[in-house]
Amino acid sequence: MANVLDKLLSLDRRWIFLLVLLCVGTPIVLPIGLPVATTGSTRAAFDYIEALKPGDYVWISFDYGPSSAPENDPMAEAILRQCFAKKIRVIVCAFYPLGGLGLATNSLAKVTAQFPNVRYGEDYVNLGYKDGAAAAMRRLGENIAEAFPADVNGTSLTQIPIMKGVRSIRQVQLVVSVATGVIGEYWITQVHSQIGTPIIIGPTAVAAPKYYAYLNAGQLVGMLGGMKGAAEYEKLLSARYPDMARFYQTTRGFTATKGMDGQTVIHAVIILFILIGNIAYMSRRAAQKKGA
Amino acid sequence: MNLEFGRLALVLLFAIIPVVGIALGINSPGLRARIPLLVAFFAGAIPIISLYVPKKFLSGPTGMSPRLDQWLIIVYAFAILLGVVNVLQNSTRKIARRESGWPFSIVLLVGLFATGGAGIYGAVSRHGITSLPDGTATPFKWIQDQFFQPLQSTIFALLAFFMASAAFRAFRARNTEATILLFAGGLVMAGRVPLLEFLAAPFPPLQPAAAGASQALGKLTEWIMDTPNGAAQSGIIIGAALGASSMAIRVILGIERGYLGLGRGE
Amino acid sequence: MRTGVLSRTSARLPSFAAPLIASLLVVFSQTALAITPEVSPAAPADLPAPTDFAAKDRPGDSGNAILLTWKDPLGLDKNAALQIRRAVPPAYDWTEITVAKPGAERYVDTTAKDGTVYRYEIRTVSAVDTSSTVPAGPPLVSDPVASHDNWFRTEKTNSFIASVLFLVILLASIGAAKSGKKIFIRRIAGLNAVDEAIGRATEIGKKVLYVPGSQSMDEIQTIASISILGHVARATARYGTDLDVPNKDPLTFASAREAVRGAYLAEGRPDLYREEMVNYVTYDQFAFTAAVSARMIRERPAAIFLVGYFFAESLILAETGQSTGAIQIAGQADPTQLPFFIATCDYTLIGEELYAASAYLTREPVLLGSMRAQDIAKAIVILLGITGIIASSLGATWFAGLFKTQ
Repeated sequence: MANVLDKLLSLDRRWIFLLVLLCVGTPIVLPIGLPVATTGSTRAAFDYIEALKPGDYVWISFDYGPSSAPENDPMAEAILRQCFAKKIRVIVCAFYPLGGLGLATNSLAKVTAQFPNVRYGEDYVNLGYKDGAAAAMRRLGENIAEAFPADVNGTSLTQIPIMKGVRSIRQVQLVVSVATGVIGEYWITQVHSQIGTPIIIGPTAVAAPKYYAYLNAGQLVGMLGGMKGAAEYEKLLSARYPDMARFYQTTRGFTATKGMDGQTVIHAVIILFILIGNIAYMSRRAAQKKGA
Repeated sequence: MNLEFGRLALVLLFAIIPVVGIALGINSPGLRARIPLLVAFFAGAIPIISLYVPKKFLSGPTGMSPRLDQWLIIVYAFAILLGVVNVLQNSTRKIARRESGWPFSIVLLVGLFATGGAGIYGAVSRHGITSLPDGTATPFKWIQDQFFQPLQSTIFALLAFFMASAAFRAFRARNTEATILLFAGGLVMAGRVPLLEFLAAPFPPLQPAAAGASQALGKLTEWIMDTPNGAAQSGIIIGAALGASSMAIRVILGIERGYLGLGRGE
Repeated sequence: MRTGVLSRTSARLPSFAAPLIASLLVVFSQTALAITPEVSPAAPADLPAPTDFAAKDRPGDSGNAILLTWKDPLGLDKNAALQIRRAVPPAYDWTEITVAKPGAERYVDTTAKDGTVYRYEIRTVSAVDTSSTVPAGPPLVSDPVASHDNWFRTEKTNSFIASVLFLVILLASIGAAKSGKKIFIRRIAGLNAVDEAIGRATEIGKKVLYVPGSQSMDEIQTIASISILGHVARATARYGTDLDVPNKDPLTFASAREAVRGAYLAEGRPDLYREEMVNYVTYDQFAFTAAVSARMIRERPAAIFLVGYFFAESLILAETGQSTGAIQIAGQADPTQLPFFIATCDYTLIGEELYAASAYLTREPVLLGSMRAQDIAKAIVILLGITGIIASSLGATWFAGLFKTQ
């Protein structure tokens, strides 16, 4: 037994890698369909948007790149669907330099195809990418046109109907930043702290622990933490708008709910490995003490 | 010619004074070393002052502070050129001397010229960098979609494997703190996913109990994230912010000079 | 046959009367049109006027904004609204600029141009539709006002006071340190291990790999990292150990090169310095990570420093470094990636320990003085936090209000 435990303690990491591959890959091919429980921070975000009225403005910022798309894309798409269902006017932009705009364009194309009645320029607009996130956000407080003089197609903001009702970010009811990295924090320090605009953040799971400090301080009105947060939001959306459930029950395409199956399995395996590792470690320590 | 006060002040502070200073400092290394400190002082002080002073020449749309932001982007573009030249120098040196791994340098140069060339051609010919006028993808976009994005995702996916091996090695109950870390980490890992429902899936009689326990575990996880984690994160953020402010003031006042290659007494 | 009123009337009056009446009607209507349009119609009783209407330059801004305040009239109907119009005196060509809902009592006109004098008018209207067919209450007109930029953002007064206080504490602490006062700084294991790591690399005959984060020189953590790099480069110059500094950001690359070159010159070992010691890899996050990881596996450095601002690449780099058996020292002020460094590296500088590094390693009194100032400021923040908890618990919510930033 001691030999087995010793072998486990010095296990070649490639066995662990193989096990991880199997644990993450198998549920993607053979979905389990595990339930998702919602948490307070995600419910707060959902309820905040639910409380907005038709015609209100929501600013959605795509502050992530392709590497975290599996976590962030489902968040952005779920929030877009909720806004379009509530006839909330959506202003989209991107501050992440490598791929943010492409992801924004892809998500908008995907979701607007599911809502044939929404019109570009009247119900939503894509302002494109802007360099220097913090500096651009400071300008948004005075005049959006100073940071984004035209939309992604080069049309001046003065010619876009949806932008006629909003001159600065002070007239926007909510900002949603779907973020990886530090840009999410810029929204809190540059926009909420200076102007007071409510913020919802959708960070990756790695960054989520940091944002609890801002959530507790009241600087955020809600948060979607990683793929779990995205899966919770999909569940809340399907419960509130049953006709949207079909987007998340499809066997094709990736959703956060599907991704949670793989995450559950790998968490179980890692916890098992930690337990085994600790049992082996404790028994080796006990044996050394005995020997000493 | 646009003779705005802000523009004139920037040209004076960041062009005329440094050039004159360097010229005067040709025979005086001490003076020459102080010019970057002077530039650092103004580059740091102007945005701070503009935070509190909303005068147009300072913080308006064409004021000194936004102009400095724009200048940083221009300086950045030249720095990228510097970086690319360095990559070319190192790669060609490796190939010439047949240093270990030199074939990879050939691959790097081919990729650099192919991608850079495709992008520059798209910009210069005005066909478009990512899509042609007829909407089809350019070679640059093809390289981005077929090479860049999948490779980025692959390296990012390595995190899953490394996280498992790091957790296996690091989560050992070596002492009291490590044990607390182990339990908190285990609870959060279990509470963030429907783990108990997954384990109870083959045992239908246990499923209601598993669901109830999972809910309780989820609440405990939320408490750990909200309270101990939130408090610790707040403390680190506040401490780091004070440290950053102190460091920033030292850099602006020229007390901290290590980043310029200047040592003690220089 | 009846053909209408006029024909009935004309049937009774003399033949010249109709054209006369028509002419008089035309003259009278033109006279009516000639009256200035600003004579508002008689106010219905249920549309009372707002009071205390004032227009002034919005304080503490960059200009182009006029702040309008008023008090809603008592008994204002919930379906009523307040129409605000603007004109440039001496003309009275009023243009509507907004329709405010009851309860707002405040509006900022951000379309004003600096230096242009305006007058504003506010009046109650019975519905959101402000066409002239909808009744409107009596207007209230403001004094002439012009916007301009101001010298101080009043809403940042508390932040300004805190900044000045911090600066004063910093300068006082530096002054005290310069005068010879001894300053205690606690032991930081990660910084103590720097020389140990470089010594190990020298013994084994392998290089030291130093990664100064993945962000640019506008990030304060990167500046701190370059300062530590200078110290590490001095040590490698002294011991003759090879140094490799791969960079993701071009500005950081330029600064790192200067720091390392300066360090080798200062140690009197310019012969040991090689240009390729400090090299630029690529700007892409994961391409950089792949290149540096491959370099670690191929070249097996004895000591790896991961000091600066990292994102998702932190675990990949640290775990790869761990697998090579190198001694690893990491440091980051942002808490996000710290757990990964703690799990994989031998020593980790947490939070502000990174900023303390230059003071700790050089023991320069001026730098130590600034550390003391940091600690004093932190003590003040802790005291304010405790006071805030007590004040809020006792219902004195005004205390927390002192720290609002907008």
